[in-house]
Amino acid sequence: MISSFGNFTLWIALSLAILQLLISMKKSNLLTIKFNRFAVKGFLLCTLISFFSLIYCYVVSDFSVLNVFQNSHTSKPLLYKFTAVWGNHEGSMLLWILVLAIFNYYILRLYTQNNFIFISKTLETQAIINIGFLLFIIFTSNPFERTLQIHDNGLGFNPILQDPALAIHPPLLYVGYVGFSAAFSFAVAAMNLKEEENIYWYYYMKPFVIAAWTFLTIGIAFGSLWAYYELGWGGWWFWDPVENASFMPWLLGTALIHSLIVVEKKKSLKSWALLLAIVTFLFSIVGTFLVRSGILTSVHSFALDPARGIYILTFIALLGGYSLTLYGIKSKNFLNKNYFSFFSREGSILVNNTIIIIACATIFLGTLYPLLIEIFSNNKISVGEPYFNSTVVPIMMPAILIMGVGPLMSWNKTDIKKVFLRTYPSLLLTIIVTCVFFYIYRSYNMLGLLGIILSLWIIFNILITSINQFRSKYKKKQFIKEDIPKLSIGMAMSHLGFGLLIIGITGSSIWQNEKIIKMKINANTTIQNYNIVFNEISDIQGPNYLAIQGNFLVYDAKKNIVTKLKPETRYYPVTNNTTTEASIHTNLLRDLYIVLGKGNINEGWIVRIYYNPLVIWIWIGASIIFLGGLFSMKNHLTKVKRIIL
Amino acid sequence: MTKTLLSIIFIFILTHISPTITKAVDPDEFLQDPKLELRARKISKNIRCLVCQNQSIDESSAALAKDLRILIRNKIKGGYTNDEIYIFLTDRYGDFILLKPSFKFSTSALWSLPFIFLIFGIFVIFQHNKKSNKIIK
Amino acid sequence: MKKKLSIFPSILFFLILLSFFYLLISDRNPSKLPSTFIDKPVPIFKAKTLIDNKTFISTEEFGQETTLVNFFATWCKPCVEELVFLKKLASKNELKIIGVNYKDNSNKTVKWLKELGNPYSKILIDSNALIGIDWGVYGIPETFIVNSKGIIKYRLIGPITEKNYDEFYVKIKESEK
Repeated sequence: MISSFGNFTLWIALSLAILQLLISMKKSNLLTIKFNRFAVKGFLLCTLISFFSLIYCYVVSDFSVLNVFQNSHTSKPLLYKFTAVWGNHEGSMLLWILVLAIFNYYILRLYTQNNFIFISKTLETQAIINIGFLLFIIFTSNPFERTLQIHDNGLGFNPILQDPALAIHPPLLYVGYVGFSAAFSFAVAAMNLKEEENIYWYYYMKPFVIAAWTFLTIGIAFGSLWAYYELGWGGWWFWDPVENASFMPWLLGTALIHSLIVVEKKKSLKSWALLLAIVTFLFSIVGTFLVRSGILTSVHSFALDPARGIYILTFIALLGGYSLTLYGIKSKNFLNKNYFSFFSREGSILVNNTIIIIACATIFLGTLYPLLIEIFSNNKISVGEPYFNSTVVPIMMPAILIMGVGPLMSWNKTDIKKVFLRTYPSLLLTIIVTCVFFYIYRSYNMLGLLGIILSLWIIFNILITSINQFRSKYKKKQFIKEDIPKLSIGMAMSHLGFGLLIIGITGSSIWQNEKIIKMKINANTTIQNYNIVFNEISDIQGPNYLAIQGNFLVYDAKKNIVTKLKPETRYYPVTNNTTTEASIHTNLLRDLYIVLGKGNINEGWIVRIYYNPLVIWIWIGASIIFLGGLFSMKNHLTKVKRIIL
Repeated sequence: MTKTLLSIIFIFILTHISPTITKAVDPDEFLQDPKLELRARKISKNIRCLVCQNQSIDESSAALAKDLRILIRNKIKGGYTNDEIYIFLTDRYGDFILLKPSFKFSTSALWSLPFIFLIFGIFVIFQHNKKSNKIIK
Repeated sequence: MKKKLSIFPSILFFLILLSFFYLLISDRNPSKLPSTFIDKPVPIFKAKTLIDNKTFISTEEFGQETTLVNFFATWCKPCVEELVFLKKLASKNELKIIGVNYKDNSNKTVKWLKELGNPYSKILIDSNALIGIDWGVYGIPETFIVNSKGIIKYRLIGPITEKNYDEFYVKIKESEK
């Protein structure tokens, strides 16, 4: 049976991981590297087979497998049978292991004659991580567990979960979390290096960190995108503990990338990079723990199996305890040999790292504070959106400000005058565009204006510097004279994308316009400059649902039709579920978003209309960051190959 | 059965789902006076829906959320101030019902620590700057 | 300074993990909200009773004997199962049970109780959840133990079942101490 085979390959994978550990622990020589190649490749092969076995069980709807029974149904479209594999706890852990095996393999490929002790040490740590997760899966969360009874069909037919964005969101996140495990392993290996070994551990670490961070960014973006169009509020971030669990590693990963840049160029901030590499991964697994252990749930949900929680916690305690104690002992070997002024590129990175860490600490505090209160008193409190908005947002603002001008500073102390000369065009443009914006929209919202100013500041700085850099390609001398460090494509795109992201965030948060009214057929209402007419209501039959669909015609100020919006209320008879599907019209300036509520012919229907300015820039910005990350990865891999191999 | 529910709940938690029917605040509940209605919406956005994952009563479609929304509007019409309404609710449901944590002794760490982190951060940066200026000189 | 600082992350880490362990191991239920009325007197309120349509004045009804206040409704499935245990408690004659019919249809409730049995000495009508809100009720069924001095000593969230009946009975006994 395929499922037993899948389970069997997990056990083989476990033995191979243990083999990898044992081999890596021995004093390495070229022979042990050969065996390690076997262990690592075998491990990858086994996890692939295991994963595909589970996919097979889902695709053929093998309900003798408990996991398939719980999460699938014959009526599911094939695509969602496939994505249901990782849409549950056990299956998603199997995906974790697969991604671990893939990264494990790429670490293996870095072996050379000169670095085999270092790489072996890295693989040793990585093997421990692999074993830890494998034990967790095999003994507490095995996707291949069998059912006790025979079932004709499964339970997994929840239509809300059958969505493309929701389907792709977990794999992207896992590439992120697991990628940071590689950084963790490199850090542990680096701390165990002896003086004589002249290994540039940071060159090894960086491509993995960039890969992890890039995919984490787009993973979070997809999660928010889904929330935006599915949950019906025009909102895309709720400071929910689950969201915070992904945002904290993202923040720390950002600080880590920038620290590695400084380490490469100036050989300082090494101890920062090491600590961040350890802590980013710890936050990734603590985050996973928090949302799966049931420790952070709302009032009416079940506590998940505490045995699982205790296992993960013990694993985290061992990994974290060892790495942080090692850091405590060894970090003095990595102290800054040269200090630098904070009016320099490395200085601005240091300042921003500090701010990022403070923001992360605040989110951590807010997320865990209710638990702390529970421990020390009999009370329960909530720490919701208002707390995070009033603390984290102001904290991040100076970081965004510095982000605008940081890339323009050169390494080592920069002359304030020179920076001003480089940046004043952007300053002017920012002020001009802000004033134009203010003139058109007349918004007196301070926070909004601040958001616009900050994002324009970043965008103009990047654009102008990039244009200058491009132009001066033909005037190399001048560029060198000016001593401006070159902007790489990856960095320019990521920063530009971030600026666009901030515009989207500002627009949609500050200037959202909501209208909730009851409308009868042929009634009309206005929002901003749009006139919306409730044209008709119809019954629709979908593949597995019945729906009531409202037809709304949207006209602009000149009475031209802009679009037809068709929000629905859907009823799924199999699950006895009702959902609402918002209808959204998007353009570069705003989203028009309509949700149909309950109602009837006589009294009319409740209609919620949202005017969400600039939302699309969130998704565009995130995509550009993602592309920038990919460019950066490619560039850095070429560099690594040159230096190391 | 429990395990199934667990997996379903898990996915719900993982993907921060809200109750499937986003009916939420009903125009029939609206107060006539737009200023008072705005107050009601603002207060509602700060009151947690106790039977939902992570929503305010303003967004939630739960029955309890609706009851509380109506109650708040009645209290506003009855002349209660915002603080009085919050006290009314926390007397009955505890501080848990407030999405913005109150300013008490027990939350003093929550509200002051970010600020303390900032001060500490600034201190660290200035120390670093001092040291580097010394060395450069 | 640097040396001391670098130990800090590991210490912080252990403290945080310790608190997580404690939370996992301790007998907490993340889905239950503690009541704000424990060890406080019963809220003062008036209501109409279901069967004889009289006025119920709280100050007259509490403070004499151990009383259970049970919030229920006909549309609540666990409430049906709970009735068995409520009847058992009522038959002991050590206490009285006041039912609060929460957001329900009075006619339906009368029929429901006729069919299944009535453990309540009095039944109050709470058609708009206001009584429930005054008691901090957020879901049903919920049962409060009020001692003979009129002080609320315990709130049970969820139905009385085979599993928790004995424990609940112990809490009733303890409420008088």
